[in-house]
Amino acid sequence: MKKIININFHGRVIPIEETAYEILKQYVESLRVYFAKEEGKDEIINDIESRFAELFSERLKKDATCITDEDVNAIIVSMGRPEDFEQDEFAQSGAAEPRTSQTGQQSASSEPTESRRLFRSENDKILGGVCGGLANYLRIDPAIVRILFALISFGGFGAGVLIYIIMWIAVPSRNLATNIRKRLYRNPETKVIAGVASGLAAYFHIAVWIPRLLFALPLILGIITSIFRNTWFGFDPGPVFITGGFGGTLFITYVILWIVLPEAQSASEKLEMRGEKVDLESIKNTIKGDLDGFKGRAKEMGDEIRDRAQQFGAEVKKASQQFATEAGPAVRRGSSGFAHAIGVLFKAFFLFIAGIIVFALIMALISLLFSGVGFLPFRYYLLSGFWQNLLAWLVLLLFICIPILGVITWLVRRIMGVRSRSNYLGIIFGGLWTIGLISLVIFVATMVNNFRTRASVEDDLPLAQPLGNTLVVREALGKISYEGSDWFGINWGHDAPFFGLNQDSVMMSTVRINVVRSLDSSYHLRRVRFSRGGDPNYAKMLAGQIQFEPLQHDSILSLPQGFAITPGQKWRNQQVLVIVDIPVGKRIYIDRSVDDYQWFDINLNERRRGWNMDWNQNQDYSWSSGVMYVMTEDGLKSLDRNNRENEEDQPQTRSDNRYRYQAPADSGKSRPSGRPEKLKRQPAESKPAVPKKQADSTAPPSASRRMEIDPVESYGSPIYILSA
Amino acid sequence: MNIENTQSQMRKGILEFCILSIIRRGEAYPSDIVEEMKAANLHILEGTLYPLLTRLKNADMLTYRWVESNSGPPRKYFSLTAKGLDFYKELEATWNELANAVNALAHRTKEMGGPAN
Repeated sequence: MKKIININFHGRVIPIEETAYEILKQYVESLRVYFAKEEGKDEIINDIESRFAELFSERLKKDATCITDEDVNAIIVSMGRPEDFEQDEFAQSGAAEPRTSQTGQQSASSEPTESRRLFRSENDKILGGVCGGLANYLRIDPAIVRILFALISFGGFGAGVLIYIIMWIAVPSRNLATNIRKRLYRNPETKVIAGVASGLAAYFHIAVWIPRLLFALPLILGIITSIFRNTWFGFDPGPVFITGGFGGTLFITYVILWIVLPEAQSASEKLEMRGEKVDLESIKNTIKGDLDGFKGRAKEMGDEIRDRAQQFGAEVKKASQQFATEAGPAVRRGSSGFAHAIGVLFKAFFLFIAGIIVFALIMALISLLFSGVGFLPFRYYLLSGFWQNLLAWLVLLLFICIPILGVITWLVRRIMGVRSRSNYLGIIFGGLWTIGLISLVIFVATMVNNFRTRASVEDDLPLAQPLGNTLVVREALGKISYEGSDWFGINWGHDAPFFGLNQDSVMMSTVRINVVRSLDSSYHLRRVRFSRGGDPNYAKMLAGQIQFEPLQHDSILSLPQGFAITPGQKWRNQQVLVIVDIPVGKRIYIDRSVDDYQWFDINLNERRRGWNMDWNQNQDYSWSSGVMYVMTEDGLKSLDRNNRENEEDQPQTRSDNRYRYQAPADSGKSRPSGRPEKLKRQPAESKPAVPKKQADSTAPPSASRRMEIDPVESYGSPIYILSA
Repeated sequence: MNIENTQSQMRKGILEFCILSIIRRGEAYPSDIVEEMKAANLHILEGTLYPLLTRLKNADMLTYRWVESNSGPPRKYFSLTAKGLDFYKELEATWNELANAVNALAHRTKEMGGPAN
């Protein structure tokens, strides 16, 4: 029981046994080889095929249902095989006259003594056939010549282009036949992108994945290491040459090879690609191997409808390829044209762009993954309830990890050349990722819900009036620090709104100080504690739980470094606002140590259109730290003559302190003695001079006795170091 | 020396002439040509004939026309051109000379010196 296929043979549909078709194909291929150098070979082969078709029709008319092996063989016998032609054929030298005078053919392999001339190749050309002709003359692979030309053109500032154009004009063209046994082709059978790696593998007789890996690996390594190099500053795996430059060079090499190398489509080309002898036996085996391989793959695919459709598509592709090879060299060589080169460039460019987009997406996901993992210590404070925890884990695993896994799997498979036969993996990945996506949406919704409302608790705190006329506000000394709480080796103390984190508590430093004019003539202190929460009562309760108690020693108000939040309370953006009322004429000095406070807030715009994050660090305040102010009718006024507050932005490093304080010490500010008394008696007058009360015995006793810790008294002294 | 080689060489020499003779008598179709040669006891493979015909056509010795047929694809019918006819006449003259010369040599055995065969 044999399989029958229908072929369209010279305008007729002929039902023919598959095996008979194979025999016919081999025969035609052998003819093609035999007549390769013949001028009118297309016509000859066409005539022979026509004869076959006629004989087929006769057979079918005689009540045969299809053409069998025997029929084909019989016709071949009567037609004669190419090896038999030798017997009948004209001797080459005898009747060569009518041929050479008309066609001027060049058959180098059979007439080695004939002097060779350089021609341009008519049939093996991409632009003008210069390289093809040169390669034919030198008997080397045209690909080598093309690559050399490309190198010379790029490296010699276009010298190669000039040479090419000169040769194009000067050298005549002929139809040149292949005269090398082995040349580099692209192999379309096992191709992933363009078959360059497969062709190389076939040429050198090595496994397919070796050149593929060679091309892909430096590129991938380069990308990965460049990521790591940018995120972790201490990471340096080696010179960039290996991973960075090399990968780029190989990519360009791949594109060049893609343009330059033709695809091996016909059986004889495939044999040339491997460097095997092109004769009838090997052609027969190649075609047979093709067909067998196709049949084998067809069997593996099974009976699913989708697979049958794939099969059909592949058959169509194969049939069209066969048609292309049999219809004539014009179609085959069409792939070597100039249009091909342009087409390749476009394809490579689009592939490149697509690759970059996919890559950027994957990198975004990976970075999400890392940041997600990095936030793990926070989960006690952020997530409440079983569901939120579960959702968070689902999001992490499914939404973020799955696409990364999927892409890595796909990459590895393509490199290894494994063909996936079923879409199970794709469906599973897709389904899990969708679950992750849904989880993400729900997760974000619940999280936002937790922060919905904001409540505050305001208290008036007792404040004793400072005996001097200035109030100093500063952060309490003695920093609390958590052992082992550095996060990824980075000390977050100065940059984040918290400065300590462990499983029991996190120390928040979202504190802010506002200075306003007092309504009466005394200092006041108020404290407002904020918190967010799912509903107002809960928020209010959380706000009330904030522990933040300022301490006062005479004229120094010490604020705690921060306040602690426990996992039970959860972090709901708790904040503390300290409002200090200053009566007119009195002073306030806010020490630089309060710069450690980092206010953090998310609030909606006035028009409720968007939200902005408020990371201000004392920049928007009406005051600057480290400056002495006096309250006037119009607001705070700086007493600093140097106008240091204008240029003084947020001091990022503490080491500047000492250096800054030297400046006013050295600049000669007039310091009239005896002024201090005046200050007290005329409080409304703003003094231009910064009073320096360095060991001034006329200073009020109560204030000066605190000289060693009173920042105002020792203002400007080099001994003065407040914060580490 | 291979007998078959020599024999095929002899055949090759006269093949063109034979084909042209057949076509001279009238329009002929490749299959018919093969049949006629077989009838004349000169066997030739069709696969040999087609390239030969094509070469002759390319050399302007032959011309052809397409004839539609019901039982198969269209057929090529070859006929001699004027140039082909001249060529044929020259070949015919050469053949006659050759035939006479060879016959004379092959049958004249006793007139040369040396031992009789």
